[in-house]
This record gives sequence, C-alpha cells and structure tokens, in this order.
Amino acid sequence: MSTPLVIGTRVTREYHLGGELVHALRGIDFEVAEGEFVALLGRSGSGKSTLLNLLGGLDRPTRGSIQVAGRELASMNAAELSLYRRTTIGFIFQSFNLVTSQRAWENVALPLVFQGVGRAERKRRALELLEQVGLGKRADHRPTQLSGGEQQRVAIARSLINKPRMLLCDEPTGNLDSNTSAQIMGLLRDAHTKGASLVMVTHDPALAASHAQRTLRMADGAFVDELPVPAVAGGGA
Amino acid sequence: MIFGLALDGLLRKKGRNLLTMSGVLIGVFALTLIVALGQGLSHAVTDTVASSDNLRQIGLTGGMGIELSNDPADVRIEGEMDDDRRERLLRAAINRRQIRQWSGRRVNEIDDAAIEKLSKLPHVESITPVIIERYQLQLDTQGKKYETPASLSIGVDVGRKRYEERLIAGRYFSGPQADEVILHEYLLYKWGLLTSNDYESVLGRKVKLSSIISEQTDPMQNAPEQMRAMMADMSDEEKKAMGVLLPRLMQQFGQFSGERQSVEREFTLVGVIREQIPGDVFNVIEDGNAVQTDVFLPQETARQLFLGSVVNRELGYPRALVLVDDAENAPAVEQALRDQGYTAFSVASVLEQVETMLTVITVIIAFLTGIALIVSTLGIVNTMITSVLERTREIGIFKAVGATNFQVMAVFLVESALIGFVGGLVGLGLAALATIPGDLIAKSIIADRAAVPYAGGVFVIPLWLALTGPALGTVTAVIAAILPARRASSIDPVKALRHD
Repeated sequence: MSTPLVIGTRVTREYHLGGELVHALRGIDFEVAEGEFVALLGRSGSGKSTLLNLLGGLDRPTRGSIQVAGRELASMNAAELSLYRRTTIGFIFQSFNLVTSQRAWENVALPLVFQGVGRAERKRRALELLEQVGLGKRADHRPTQLSGGEQQRVAIARSLINKPRMLLCDEPTGNLDSNTSAQIMGLLRDAHTKGASLVMVTHDPALAASHAQRTLRMADGAFVDELPVPAVAGGGA
Repeated sequence: MIFGLALDGLLRKKGRNLLTMSGVLIGVFALTLIVALGQGLSHAVTDTVASSDNLRQIGLTGGMGIELSNDPADVRIEGEMDDDRRERLLRAAINRRQIRQWSGRRVNEIDDAAIEKLSKLPHVESITPVIIERYQLQLDTQGKKYETPASLSIGVDVGRKRYEERLIAGRYFSGPQADEVILHEYLLYKWGLLTSNDYESVLGRKVKLSSIISEQTDPMQNAPEQMRAMMADMSDEEKKAMGVLLPRLMQQFGQFSGERQSVEREFTLVGVIREQIPGDVFNVIEDGNAVQTDVFLPQETARQLFLGSVVNRELGYPRALVLVDDAENAPAVEQALRDQGYTAFSVASVLEQVETMLTVITVIIAFLTGIALIVSTLGIVNTMITSVLERTREIGIFKAVGATNFQVMAVFLVESALIGFVGGLVGLGLAALATIPGDLIAKSIIADRAAVPYAGGVFVIPLWLALTGPALGTVTAVIAAILPARRASSIDPVKALRHD
C-alpha cells in the first residue's frame, strides 16, 4: 500500500437526538492510501455515511483526528474546510443532488463558481467533462429532463471538475437499475484509474466486492471486519 | 458568478418576487414623487425670484420709527419762549408725530431726505421710490373719447430694458423726464382697441392724467355709515380727534380725498405694453407692486406728478426699492434698514424662509412615505426566509462543492439586492412618468390661480434623487436580507443535504 492519503485516529462522532446521546462513530482508526478504492459496507445507521461526511469536511468529529494529505481536518476553520472540499474532495450522492433550475453544464461547473472562474472557462471545462461521461449533447438540459443515470453522470462530472484527490461516493448506484449502475461504476473506476482515491459507501456486498480494493464492514459505529480483496477488484493503486 | 446564482434564484419564483418587489417599488415611487415635488417647488420659487436682480433688491416701507421716542429730550423746539409754551409745543410736536398712522403710532416716512440718508448705508447701490398712484385717465382722439375713473400708474426706470421688451406697439420712453405715457394692452382692450390699426389711431395722442377728487365738501360725508353712527355717540373732543384722523386714514386707503387741489397733466401716448408672460423676468418687489398697473410713466415724470399732491408730499412715498451691490449683502442691509426704524424685506430672506419651510415639509412627508418602504422590508424578510427554507438542500449542495459561508450568504444578499434595485429602478421610472401628468395638472393650477407666470416644472428629479431611488431600494433590501442570509450561511450542510 502507498503512503496513506487519509489517517483517522480514534475518530468519535456523537450527537444528541431526541434527548439521547447517539454514538455514530466509536473511536475508529483507519487509513486510505493514495489512489486506493475503499468500500464501506454496512446497514443503515452503522456509521458509514457519518464517516464519509467527516472525510468530506462536511462534519467534524467529536473527538479524534482525521488527517487528509497531511492536514488535520479538525483544526481547519470553516473557510479552510470550504477550500478543502472545493479542491481536494469530490462528492457523489445517492440522490444526485443537482440544482434543478440549472442546466447540466451549469451543475457540472458549480464548484468553479465558488472558485471565481469566469463563465466561458467554466463552460469549456464542464462541456469537456460532460463529453467524457457521454452527455455532451445534453449539456443544456436541466436535471428534470435527464434520466437517473444521466443525472448521476452529471454529478460525477461535477465531482471531477476540480480534479480532486479523493472521491467520496454515498450509495452512488442506490437509485439506479443494474445496467445504469454498471455504467456509473465504470465511470468511477475510470476516475480511480486516473489516480483518484475513492471511498464508496454501499450496502451491496457484491458491488463492493466487484470494484473496491478493500472493503471495510461497519456496524454500530465501528469496523467489524475487513473483507479480503477479491481477485477481480483493484487495478488503480 | 454569485450574481448568476442569485438571478437564478430570483427568476425561479417570479410571481412571489414580483410581489415583494412591488413593495419596494411603491415605497420608492412615493418617496421619489414627494421629494421631486419638494425639489420642484423649491426650484420654482428660486427660479422665479432668483433671476435678474431679485436677490439684490429690498422692499422698503415706512416703519414704526423705533428710533424716535416720546422723550422730550429728542424733540427740539427752537426759539425764545417761556417754559409753559415750550412744554405745550413740545407735546404738540410729539402728538403730531404720533398721529401718522391709524393705530396712532408713529411712523418713519420715506421721503427724499430719508432716501438720501439711507442711500449712504454700506452696500446700498441705489434707493428708488416706488411711485404708484391712481389717476383719472382721458384719451381724446378725433371724434372719440376714452376715459377711466381710476387707473393705477407706476413710474418706470427708463434705463431698464425689461419694460421695453414688453412693448407690442409704438416706442419706448425717450427719457426719464419725458412727458410720455405707455398704456397696458388690457386697458386698450377695455376701450375696444385691439388691432394694430386701433393702436395706430391712438399712438401719438394726448393722454390726460388727473387726480381723483372727491366732490364732497364735508369730509365726514364720505365716511362709512357705521362710522358716522358711532361718532354720534362720541364726545366733542373725540369727534374733533376723529375729524382729523379719518380723512387722513381714508386718504391713505384710497377711499377719499379731502384734498381739493387737483393735479392734472397731459402726456403723449407713445407705446403699448403687453401683460407679463411665462419666461419674462419676474421681480418680486417691483412687479409685485405693479400687477394691476395700466399706466406706465418715466420714473422722474411719475415722481413729479406724485409730489404734485400736498398729501403725498406730507406722507412721503409709500414704498421704495433698495438695490444692494451684491446679493450676499442683502440680509445685512435689510437689518441695517430695520435698525433705522423702517420695515424692510429682502427676497433673499423670504426665499430662505420659504426654502426652509419647504425642506421641513418635504422631510416630514418623506418620512411618512418612508414608512411604506419600511413595511416593504418586512415583505423582503418574509420572502427571503421562505426562499432560504425552500433552498435548504441547494445550500447543502453549494457547501458540499466548496462554497464558503460568506458565498452562501452573498447569494441571498445579492438576490435581495436585485429585488430592491429593480424595485427601486422601476419605482423611480414610474415616478418620472407620473411627473408628466403631475406637471400638466400643476401648470394648469398655476395658470389659473397664480399671478406670477412660471414656465418650469413643479416636479424635479435631480441626479442625486434619481440615484437615491434604486440605492435606497437596494440598501433597504440588503438590510432586510441580512438575517435570512446569515441563517442560510449557518445551515449544517449534512442536514441540508438530507432536506426534502
């Protein structure tokens, strides 16, 4: 395994829900290597999405440390976390999370808006990525005019626009049929092949087994076990 | 960039945002219109009076003579006499001074001596008596005789071109002492003279001006009925006092002349002058005295005619026009004249008072109208809170792709600013449109009721006001959006992304 891109040490996340303390993550340790494809497997409430949010800097751990590319996320202020999300991370969600009023290319280019990139440059880069995900001709369509698979492809294009070092995928094929899922996973593998680390949350062991280099199974806020690397998986790292 | 996202948010809920915008629009519309009216009125006053020599002129009338006192030490009785007689004459002198005005109080008169004295005050360029008098008028032509029982005449400074510019027939005065007269077109119209041929038939003819003389010999016969009834109950002493007072009083108010000496002179009719029209220079003090004048005489000619009357010689000129070297010195000269015991008012000081009053009224009304704008901010707050709530998930997406809290806040602030700016701009535009019929209505009112011709607009939107409308709308809207925008920026992205 190469140098760890992510090092998590005793990462704990607790929050109050309806007066009760919920232990979402119970002091877990983990590592993700540069260019590694890791699957987080587990049932609902096992803590895998919480871990993904912590990795993406959308949430902060209650205790413990998460270092990404040598930087401690817990010590970053809000503006630094924004910059981290914009430059280091790409998110892909189960429900696509596109802005419905914006065209496909505008959704892809959204991270560049907050980076201060001019419109022409934004459009050029967005169209390039849309071509790559096979939606070159749908650039001016709005999300409601696209199928689920197409929407997820737009979301993948968006996550790649800043050439992130790590893609965080939360059930990326959860809302898609098997054919479309295969296409989406193909795109994710392409990104992985090009050097991005991938952390993918899924509850589908088969999906994890067929694509990830390493699968960590979670339950009740902790890692239960690490499944062996299947022969068919891997490739990037 | 952020602007595009804000515009996108705005266009997504067109109806709601248009309604919100209409609040700002109405506020800015009303505010602009009110302030434009205040500005316009202020300009109207200034344009009308600040032109020409208005601000250098001071109107002077006889005063209460505050410098004269009843102190016998101030009154000198010359000659050798015993103390009793000196005491009596002293009292008589004081009494005669006191009896100048109907109220029984003293008055400082404007006669040639006073004019000479006051002309020496610093910054006074000239003092010209205003010669206004009523005369009986007769114009004889071959076979036809025109006359009026009482026409108002005024003496005109021949050197000033403004009267000459109003000539519509004939020529101007040949000199300041010429025995010439110019008549107003209205008087000729009343005589049935309208065409240039009509004018030609009378130009060059002799016009006779004569004093208006009462045919009554008993001065009291001309007194009003009620006054005579009142006098019946008076003691002999009171009647005697009234006998002295009343004719003078009535003389002053033009009801009666106890004077039997007649002033009568002939002049050559040399020109016809037209009524003042919008665009003519209007001198508040000069023209304010002369709006009903039908007969124009050269100043010196008018003065000699005026002083032909004993009463006029006794009472002095009713008014005088003081010209100051510079408008800036008008208030100081005005005060100096008052200190000398005269009543004086300068256009500059009146203008200042009018402008202060207009400003106060405008500010008060603008403040009341501003309440509409304050109410509209509540509408914006409501709209923005709703917008933030509806777009919670979108805010989560923005944050997930790297928007900072400030950028999220900026999206909503810019969105609100757009509502305010466009609302303010449209409000300003509508206000500008509304001034067109507003001006027409105001002009028709002015034409109907005002003696002073005025050609300008009553609503004036200066550049600063034009800029204030959209700026005020924008600032108001941004202030209204601060809390909702802060709320948007502080939304937890994890929760936001789960929001439906």
